[in-house]
Amino acid sequence: MDTITTKMSREEIFDLMKKFITEVIGEEFVEEMDISPESSFTKDLEMDSIEIVSFSEKIKAHFGEQIDFTGWLSAMDLDQLINLNLGMIISYIEECQS
Amino acid sequence: MPILNINGKSVHIQELNKGAAETIILIHGMFSNLSVYYFNIAPLLATQFHVVLYDLKSHGMSEKVLEGYDLESMTDDLLHLMEALELKKVHLGGYSFGGLIALKMAIRFPERIHKLAVIEAPDPNDDKTRGIIDEYSREFLEHYVENFTDTTKVKMGKRQMERNHRMYEYLFYQTSIKADMELEKGFFGSAAITTIEQPTLLLYGTDSNCLNAGKQLEGLIDQASLIAVPGDHNIPIQEPLVIAEALFHFFKETSN
Repeated sequence: MDTITTKMSREEIFDLMKKFITEVIGEEFVEEMDISPESSFTKDLEMDSIEIVSFSEKIKAHFGEQIDFTGWLSAMDLDQLINLNLGMIISYIEECQS
Repeated sequence: MPILNINGKSVHIQELNKGAAETIILIHGMFSNLSVYYFNIAPLLATQFHVVLYDLKSHGMSEKVLEGYDLESMTDDLLHLMEALELKKVHLGGYSFGGLIALKMAIRFPERIHKLAVIEAPDPNDDKTRGIIDEYSREFLEHYVENFTDTTKVKMGKRQMERNHRMYEYLFYQTSIKADMELEKGFFGSAAITTIEQPTLLLYGTDSNCLNAGKQLEGLIDQASLIAVPGDHNIPIQEPLVIAEALFHFFKETSN
């Protein structure tokens, strides 16, 4: 697995997240969406829980030990998970890098 | 994404805390997938145990399979998974249909199972349970999604509705699931179920249609104790921490 040693900017993290989302839900659906940091996972991106599992696995594989993404998600209740948006994940990854 | 080839079929699994001495395998329910455990329940159990989650055939990210939804075949699948992972003896937890698989495992392979936790397993002879399979339609899906799935709080969008619709259509009309479930009607009435000797935790929702099934099992299994948790059939989604802690204490205090 590739581990990131250089700090990524918000834009770079956003692009990487967008790439993961595309891989999980498929290009044909992503083309119809305007993905932004405000996009929520369940409402805007319409990702269900098994797709969020795939997405989490991609983050784990990319960042390795550096980021405990599943641990961060497991601290959230259902309402928080429903309201989770891309910007929150970008901020979390940014924090883990600093 | 960890995908294993088991008996020529792809099975999606997730493992947490691989190095731990004891293993818990968790089985999800019908029309669901391993994500029911992935976010809350599995991480808590993994603070002490090796936890294995897997997607049942045609569910989640496991391969679609036309046949073999009876409890005999479903437990064969699980035994093969245990062998592939070189697990000799495990604790087992199952939710809903997964609870029936867990019970069948304890009947068929008692020497491979330490302790048993059954969450909201329905009585297969119950008309309401079988009714779900008999009366499938698009309207039924919309109603089911509103009331019974793990997405209760989220309005399903078009893409998700289509995805789910395709899964239900496949399971209901192309696979042998209906006929296979019909064969299991007598499961709670069979003598085999009274042979279960493992300490068994039964977790049911106080407002669940399945609570009576839990009470039945408590009477049938020697070392069973029933805990009723506030909620309905969806307790692992409604109260993941309550369920996780109940499972954790049960497996911990009874483990040798």
